[in-house]
Amino acid sequence: MLSDARTRSIVIQCLLVAAVIGAASLLVTTTFTNLQTRGIPIGFDFLTMPSRIVISEAILSYKSRDPYYWAIVVGLANTVFISALVIVFSSVLGLIVGVTRLSSNPLAAGTCRVWVEIARNSPPIVLLIFLYSLWWKVLPPVGQALNPVPGVFASMRGVMVPSLHISMATAGVALILVAGLLVLAARLAGGLRKFRSALSWAAAAVILFGLWMADVGFSIDWPVFAGSNFRGGLELTPELSTILIGLTIYTTGFIAEIVRGGVLSVGSGQLDAGRSVGLSRAQILRLIVIPQMLRVIVPPLNSQYINVVKNSTLAIAVGYPDFLAVMNTIISKSSHSIEGVFIILGVYLALNLTLSSAANWYNRRIAIVER
Amino acid sequence: MKTISLPLSEAPVPTQAWPAPLLASLHRTAGLLFGSRLNAALTLAFGAMLTVAVPPMLRWLVLDAVLFNPDPAACRAASGACWSFIYAKSGQLLFGIYPVDERWRPALVCLLILALLGWSVRPASWTPRLLGLWIAALALIVWLMGGGLGFEEVPTSAWGGLPVTLILTVVAIGIAFPVGILLALGRRSTMPAVRIAAVVGIESVRGLPLLSILFVASIMLPLFLPEALLPDKFVRALVALTIFAAAYLAEVIRGGLQAIPKGQYEAAAALGLPFWRTQYLVILPQAIRVVIPALANTIIVMIKNTSLVLVVGLFDLISSGKAALADPAWPSPAAETFLFIGAIFFALSFSFARFADFLERRGPVAR
Repeated sequence: MLSDARTRSIVIQCLLVAAVIGAASLLVTTTFTNLQTRGIPIGFDFLTMPSRIVISEAILSYKSRDPYYWAIVVGLANTVFISALVIVFSSVLGLIVGVTRLSSNPLAAGTCRVWVEIARNSPPIVLLIFLYSLWWKVLPPVGQALNPVPGVFASMRGVMVPSLHISMATAGVALILVAGLLVLAARLAGGLRKFRSALSWAAAAVILFGLWMADVGFSIDWPVFAGSNFRGGLELTPELSTILIGLTIYTTGFIAEIVRGGVLSVGSGQLDAGRSVGLSRAQILRLIVIPQMLRVIVPPLNSQYINVVKNSTLAIAVGYPDFLAVMNTIISKSSHSIEGVFIILGVYLALNLTLSSAANWYNRRIAIVER
Repeated sequence: MKTISLPLSEAPVPTQAWPAPLLASLHRTAGLLFGSRLNAALTLAFGAMLTVAVPPMLRWLVLDAVLFNPDPAACRAASGACWSFIYAKSGQLLFGIYPVDERWRPALVCLLILALLGWSVRPASWTPRLLGLWIAALALIVWLMGGGLGFEEVPTSAWGGLPVTLILTVVAIGIAFPVGILLALGRRSTMPAVRIAAVVGIESVRGLPLLSILFVASIMLPLFLPEALLPDKFVRALVALTIFAAAYLAEVIRGGLQAIPKGQYEAAAALGLPFWRTQYLVILPQAIRVVIPALANTIIVMIKNTSLVLVVGLFDLISSGKAALADPAWPSPAAETFLFIGAIFFALSFSFARFADFLERRGPVAR
């Protein structure tokens, strides 16, 4: 009877399902007996209780009497903040490094190659701990902070950058205006289409001018050295700066290789064809190379971006309270480990699925443009 | 008179002083560095960057550094790196908290693993016998590290440093490889229950950071499993690494399976080969050869990933480094220590990457 393919397949599937159910029920029953013998309560009602945990720094405002769910949101905001910045920085740098690696100039290509090899072959956690150990050694005390660009200061206490202060009302108005502008741009009739970018710039200028005239709370806050420390601006602590710099160095190495592969994938005949119809170098890049390259590099870039979100958990190694670090504290403080682990798994799965579906949507879009 | 002597003085004197090939290569280099406006700008920018960065780095790394003098006071006095710390503490850095008198055992284990790895990368030694060799070696490694049967027993909680990194890498990949093949085949199976189980398994592991899987393994397993079945910390980390590696390897191997033309399956079916023999004799050897570069990348990621076990309290290279730095007699040269540890990981990963390049250059798969 087992020689019949269909019977065999049904038997195999039944065995597999039985094994999965058996393992799951064994896990659940032992977990419940373990929880009962240790007297651990279960349920999500702890989320609204005051957390009394310390989060050393956060993008959103947080006090230790805030409830657990707010602590979780604050940790998540930190993770999203790190990931977004690293993704933006390493994409720009990766584009530059990847293209420079293809340069005929041996000095430039060689330097970029060294960067790529170091990034690809050393563990990010070692890179982070190494950079963190350099922080107090290389940078001057706060009184003699380095000032590489006006408004940016680097010292042992961290990096100070100018910050943007926007009142909630201004932010709301600006969001509505930008949304309206986008809708307008998308709906512009064909005849007006060639003026679209000029119109957008004009509209953006009008919005900014209006906001400035209305004076509804829109200002740039420059860091200023006063007495013994900096006032104003946005402070990036050594922990946060280390993660941003370290993860950016690491991710740039990978993105540079993806970009290099993408450029190489565009055949040289395409460039010759562009030159033969008299396009300039910039036009060849914009009209021929980049559209064809995007199709090749978007899927691997997508997985790099997901890796950035996952690698942001390494923040724990230098003591920055990202989502996983906050959850770890919550689990040990509240002893709701099962609920905590479910939240961890759910949040990372949701984050990564969102990222990859956005990238897949973009991927489909450029694929349609292409053909 | 002058007008006559000028062409004479331009005679081949310079080309005699400069041998033609050297001159040509100089000319070529100059052309590469300053040939166009863009290249000149790049040369100036990168040249300026390197002249700012490299001399101070060299001074710190070598010229002002304390190299071998095993005296902490020399390190305090010097303005450069303190390499003598690495030299003096190499035993602790490499083997962690392993009993000092028994350090020759982990040293032997490291040599054994590295030698076997070196042997295994030769395409000529890819025979079924290699598998037997590895299994025998693993038994020997467990005996050497753990003791018993005549050796002093050392619990896994006292293992540390390089052997931990190497054992975790080799064993996790070794087990994950066959599991990954099974998962990849499961994902392409025509049986819906098998396919769904494989997809859910692979995708949920790939959607998570390795750190969270390590946390789950260290926090949750004590709750999930009855006390008797609970493995120790080392095995728990090993299980987490293996699950992670298996999910990633499964996707790589699936790529290879997709590259096999349907005709190969039909030919095997025509010969009357059953499923497993088809896979073992026809499909998998081709599929794996197709994806060797991607496999190498995944394995490099795994080598680097073993460094994460420090967050669940295993004594890997980084933890050994941190412990060595805690010695108050020395000025705690953290940067040097982590450079050293980074260099070990770099050597492992970089040589593997070069090996993958070699495999790629060996030419396309013969069809």
